[in-house]
Amino acid sequence: MVPLKDIVPAAQNNINTRFILLDKGIVKTTTTTSSQAQNKTCLALVADETAAVHFQLWGNECDAFEPGDIVQLSNGIFSYCRNNLLLRAGKRGKIEKVGEFLMAYVETPNLSEIRWVPDPNNSKKYIQEAVISPHSRIFPPKY
Amino acid sequence: MKLIQTSSHEAENPIELSLRQAFELLEPKLRPPFALTIPNPQEYLLLNKAILYGVLCESHVGKTHMKHLHAIVTDGYFWFVSLLVKVVNELYVKLLEPVKSQLIWVTKELINVLAVGVDGLLVCLLRQIIGGDYSDGNLWLCFEMVSIFMTKWDCLLEVEPMILTSGLYTYLRLLADHCRLLSNPKLEALKQLEVDFCIKVFKEKFPLCLKIGRDLVRLLQDLVHLPKFRTIWKDLVLNCGEFKAQGFSGIPQLYNTRTPSEYMLLRITPEMEAHLRFLLTRVKLGNQKRHQAWFSKKFLFEPNRETLIIDIVRFICCAYHPTNEIIQSDVIPRWAIMGWLFKSCTKNYVEANVKLALLYDWLFFKERADNIMDIEPAMLLMVYSIPRYIDVTHTILEFLFLLMDNYDVEHYDILAKGVSSSFSVLVKRGVIRSLDVLTSCDALSPILKERLGRFLSGRKFEISKELQQACRPADFVSLNSSCMETPLPLTEWQPKCSQGDKFGTISAETKVMISDDAASSHSPLVVAREGQVHDIDNMIHNLGEAIKNSNPMALRTLEELLLLFVSLNYPYVCSF
Repeated sequence: MVPLKDIVPAAQNNINTRFILLDKGIVKTTTTTSSQAQNKTCLALVADETAAVHFQLWGNECDAFEPGDIVQLSNGIFSYCRNNLLLRAGKRGKIEKVGEFLMAYVETPNLSEIRWVPDPNNSKKYIQEAVISPHSRIFPPKY
Repeated sequence: MKLIQTSSHEAENPIELSLRQAFELLEPKLRPPFALTIPNPQEYLLLNKAILYGVLCESHVGKTHMKHLHAIVTDGYFWFVSLLVKVVNELYVKLLEPVKSQLIWVTKELINVLAVGVDGLLVCLLRQIIGGDYSDGNLWLCFEMVSIFMTKWDCLLEVEPMILTSGLYTYLRLLADHCRLLSNPKLEALKQLEVDFCIKVFKEKFPLCLKIGRDLVRLLQDLVHLPKFRTIWKDLVLNCGEFKAQGFSGIPQLYNTRTPSEYMLLRITPEMEAHLRFLLTRVKLGNQKRHQAWFSKKFLFEPNRETLIIDIVRFICCAYHPTNEIIQSDVIPRWAIMGWLFKSCTKNYVEANVKLALLYDWLFFKERADNIMDIEPAMLLMVYSIPRYIDVTHTILEFLFLLMDNYDVEHYDILAKGVSSSFSVLVKRGVIRSLDVLTSCDALSPILKERLGRFLSGRKFEISKELQQACRPADFVSLNSSCMETPLPLTEWQPKCSQGDKFGTISAETKVMISDDAASSHSPLVVAREGQVHDIDNMIHNLGEAIKNSNPMALRTLEELLLLFVSLNYPYVCSF
């Protein structure tokens, strides 16, 4: 299991982590171009004690999770979807509810609000270039 | 065959999994004829798990499983009961309906055989009853549990008599809620059974009830509108010999007993307790909004659930005392949680009960016997609310005086002493630096400040007087009956800071009771008026003493009349 602060955008389904769901946006129905099938997605803010990130819930995941749920992600992926940097289970990964409430979290840094660029020493890797916003602009902190 | 409900995307529950795996592994051995071999310790543990899963999930062969258990048991059912405790604490909410029925059935079976630890199992089940929840499932559990207490009375006395006091605390508290919901036919039969059980405990096992301590009075007072409880209350007040309890000297004995924190836990589910403990140990001040919102949504939002706040406040005051490490950290302090809970009250009677819960230990506080951490949250909430929530400071302080004057007029002395020691110990131990923060607070209403100042200086004088008497052996008799005071000539009563020096021996704790500034800021006019009021107070105290030695009822009425008269001079008392 990796702490959220250590995840890096990559085209790989290899992220195993645990976080608490802080907030959910509205459920959107989208049509994927390849299959013409309709699908539900829902953007969420998730976090652990090290960082926060935007998470995309997909299909029946959208209704199965509520703010306050502690979620275990297995084989997840952190990558760009239509220009947004999102963590998600993807087709090969899965998410499960493992608890509620009992997890501390931070809302900054938010890894989806960071500009990442290819590492000049290793073009396959991304590194952080700049902070776009210290916290989520979609789900502002509730202080 | 299932134990619990699971929703999609929910991880497998480790307890359920371990029980199910044991059952699946040993299933052939769980059908008669049973093997005669004696299992080794490891096999024994596994067999217990398997049988438990069988009992809970296969109701049609439940009896067979229990026979099997009776045949193999070698530890007085200790392990089996421990497993059940885990199931109740961690899975009860998720258990399927038929499994819950089996759980109650197997609990009764275990009481019949006086299983080791079955009293602990009953406590866990009592904790699953949710206050203010009128769903069928919750009322069913209320009914099943009170039935167990009634039908298994003798067995329970043999197992552990104290379990009856846990039942009593639980049902007194639940009755307060159940009586508020008028004309609900499905509640009537249950309410009757709950009343019968509580009265039975009072009548037959009163010495046990005394162990509950002062919260017994708090709960009982909420029920005196019911005739049967009114009778109990009258006997407690006027006729304590009725209870045939050796060494029971009357209500003050209950006041003097701090209620053990286990009783506070009875009205908080284990899940709620875990969430509250997490809030108070891991969540940082300023970062609590989301956790508080989740907590409210889960436990407080449904109609009628608000009364739970009363129990949560008692839990936080008396059962959760933070370590020094936590106190010095940036974790959200108890007073801030109290402020949030206080602001969550929407109903007046809940708010009044929450204030009582917050201030209850103040009324009987004794430095030697009580814990300062029980009274700390109310003090800090008052002080830290001054800048932004002066209404909170005001209402709590006002309520404190209201309680002191009215909670038990017969024992005003005890209450006033308790409140006075609370203030002085809180300052002495450094919880707050001085009471100036209240007495010199511009935002606080002048009437309330005046009352506080008068109370503090009045108490200061009483303490000084006691010290003086203590120095003169001739006066020892009057010291022993310390509530007997002579009316003071006006000239003797002056709120001078030099008062203490006269006797030389005054302790630090009385010195910090009121600052020089606050005392000297009173105008002479105010002092004179205060003196008169103090005279009347003293007369009333003497009357109170006289009552004990003569016709109680007649003099009691007189005292009440006089109190009413005095209250005319206290405009803020009338405004309540």
